[in-house]
Order: sequence, then C-alpha cells, then structure tokens
Amino acid sequence: MRWLRFAVLILTVTVLQKGLLGRLDIKPDLLVILLVFFSIYSNTSEAIISSFTLGFAADLIGSPMPMGPHMISFGLLGTALAYLHRVIAIRKMPSQALAIFITAILTSTLTHFLAYLIKGEPVSANIYGVVFGTSLYSGLVGPFLFLPLAWWMRIKISRFGQRWAHK
Amino acid sequence: MARKQIRVRIPKRYNMSLWSPSRRMLFIWCMLISFILLFAPQNFTSKFQLAYVRIFRWPLSIGGHFALSTQTQMPLQDVVPRREYDKLQTYRANLEETLNQQRMKFEKLYGLYNKYVWEGVNFALADVITATINGSSNELTISCRENIGLVKGQFVLGDNSIIGTISEVSSGTACVKLFTDPTSAIAVKIGKLNVDRMMRGNGDNSARVPLIEAKYKIKIGDEVFASSNKSKFLDAPVKIGEVAQLKKDEKDPLFWDITVKPACDIEKLDDVAVLVMNP
Repeated sequence: MRWLRFAVLILTVTVLQKGLLGRLDIKPDLLVILLVFFSIYSNTSEAIISSFTLGFAADLIGSPMPMGPHMISFGLLGTALAYLHRVIAIRKMPSQALAIFITAILTSTLTHFLAYLIKGEPVSANIYGVVFGTSLYSGLVGPFLFLPLAWWMRIKISRFGQRWAHK
Repeated sequence: MARKQIRVRIPKRYNMSLWSPSRRMLFIWCMLISFILLFAPQNFTSKFQLAYVRIFRWPLSIGGHFALSTQTQMPLQDVVPRREYDKLQTYRANLEETLNQQRMKFEKLYGLYNKYVWEGVNFALADVITATINGSSNELTISCRENIGLVKGQFVLGDNSIIGTISEVSSGTACVKLFTDPTSAIAVKIGKLNVDRMMRGNGDNSARVPLIEAKYKIKIGDEVFASSNKSKFLDAPVKIGEVAQLKKDEKDPLFWDITVKPACDIEKLDDVAVLVMNP
C-alpha cells in the first residue's frame, strides 16, 4: 500500500467533499466510495487502517456532528466488508454498486445513531430521504471511480478475474 | 540415497487463521482511539474540525465559489437582480423597525438623553469558507477578516438579515449554526405583534414557530424579527425571515403553526457580518 498516495488522496477527497460538494443537498459520499474500494482491493490489515483513517477524515469534515461516530462506523463496516470479500468476491460493477449503497446506508445510520445516543444530537425529520438519496447517488457513481482510484494507488484490478497488486 | 528437501511456500491468502493477533490488536487499538474521540468533550474535538478548515481554507473556498458560480443565473439587463431586491427590502424592514423602537423609547423617556440603538455596535465582516445545508445540519464555517473577539451566541447577518448564531470559535474561524438547524432556538416576534415566541429550525431551510394564539392576525408574507428583549447580543429587532406557511395546529386548532423562510438565500452567501456588541 502506497501510504503517501493514500494520504494525498484522502486530503483531496475531503476538500472536494466539504468544499465543492458541500453546498449540494444530495451528493455522493466520496469517503464511503473510498472505504469500499480499499476494503475490496487491500489486504485485511491495510483495510482496517484505511477504514479508520477514512472515518477520522469523515469526522473532520462532518461538522457540526461531533467527532467519533464516523470513525467507529467506518472502521466497523470497512473491517466487516474486508472479511466479507474473502467469502463473497465483490468484483463486478453491479455488486460493487450494491456494496457501496448498503455500506453508505449502514454507515450513515450507525453514525447518526451513535451521535444521538452519546451526544444527544437531534435527528431531523427528512434524514431518511437524505441518507437514501446520498447512498443511491454514491452507489451509482462509485464503481466508475474505482478505475481512476486504482490507477492513482497503482493497484492493478480486473473486474472479471484475479486481482494482482503492483509491488 | 540423499533426500532432497523441498521447501513449500504457502501464500498468505490460504492462511487458515482468520484473526491473527496483529490484526485483532490493530482493530482494538483503532476502536479505542475512536471511542476516546467520541467521549471527548465537543469543545475540544471541534478545535480539530476548525483547524482543518483553517488549514485548507483556500481550496475549500475555491470549491465553494465554483459550486456557487454554476448555480448562479445570468441577470437580465435593466432589471435589479432578485437578491439585490431582497437585500434592500430587508434593509428597509430593519430601518422601519429600528425607527419604531426609537419612537417607543423617545415616548417613554421624553426629555431625557436618547441613545441610538446601534451605537457602540461593530459589524465584523467574515468570509464563508464552507456551507453545509442538508437535512441533518445547517451550518456555515466563517473566517473573520478582522482580529475581533468572537464569542458563542453572537448573531450573524447575511444580506442584512439574521441567519444564525456563532456556535464554535477558534482563532478567528467560527461555526455559524443557522436558525434553520434542528438544534437552533431563537426568540422572535412576528409582524407588528409585540409578543415573543421561540422559533426552532426544521432542517429543510425553514423554521417553525408553534403555538401562537389564533386570535392574532397573522398572514403569509409577514416579517419575522429576532427579538432583542432579554438578549445581550442584540440591541434592536433585526429581520430574520418571513411567514411562508400558516396553518392551524393539528392538536389544538386554537393555535397557529407557522413556518418561516429565511429572508435571504443562505446557500448563495459568500460573506456575512457578525454583530459584535460593545467591542
């Protein structure tokens, strides 16, 4: 895993998510897309580290939500996805889209639940629509971003065959 | 006969141990750090969030301006843009209300020295770095142009109307909780009524003023002002929005349930002013 490229990638994505996409009502969650990508295409230890790091990045840009819920939900679900990928290969685009959609819904739900339970953050009435819309948008857009991500991280992927990691 | 030793290397992915200790410890340590962050006081963790915004202020601002420019429509010639019109209307409403306040004060204190309500108030200009306006949170992050003391609770103006209050401050950068945020509660008065009520955010770019007696004559389009009574951050009422929807309360038809829309288009703001009382 090329950690310097990973760090640059996370910084770029957080700036895009908070700056360019921040003013949109419904937007794709780029950090969840990255979470699923690294859970599928990294080994387990790297997937764990990258999941928690992505969660920390989501906490940094998640203001006014307190810090902590994103890191826990990303870490848990990223690790679970990494182990699930050992059993069920998530190679084809439809299955990747479904994985992103489900992961986005679960991370948002867990995040808001933890924030409500621990910090007493109120949940707004239209939260369900926002979560569903964001998850759907991420699921539709996410698989198309996997190729440029793989190019940047120097990971050779084949959607129809074995994965070879470039060393 | 000599034996030949063959060394067989088993690839890592065929390792039968699903939970090697190092991965388990890694996961546990990361979860521990996450829980420490979760239970840490928000005053402490919010400094990390504001520090991030301060460090990456320039690329965040560029992204926000780019997003705004794609949403802004080209104005027609010889026509005042809608935003300018709304801004001037709000300014007129604020002046009228200030004048009413001055008249009431003058009547009460006739013959004594009359202090102008905005005397000793500073309007600190600030740039909007990021704007998060979605269902669960309505917040701006601003950076003050002047080195002036910002404190929690100060009112923030956009296009001459109140848009929210300062919720977190760190080294010239601050978070503004918009009045449409579900956790926001601001005392307001509606139209010419001299009755204060609490307005709470709905989260969908609107706020709600519940339980106003139906005997009061309120109509759609009436101006809503942030109340200056018992507020140490406001000397005179300032416009905050307009009545957008008016209906009888579902549980008790003797009361109005009022929906208030902001007086300005908060999503298009790129600079605001912080009301600093007696700096």
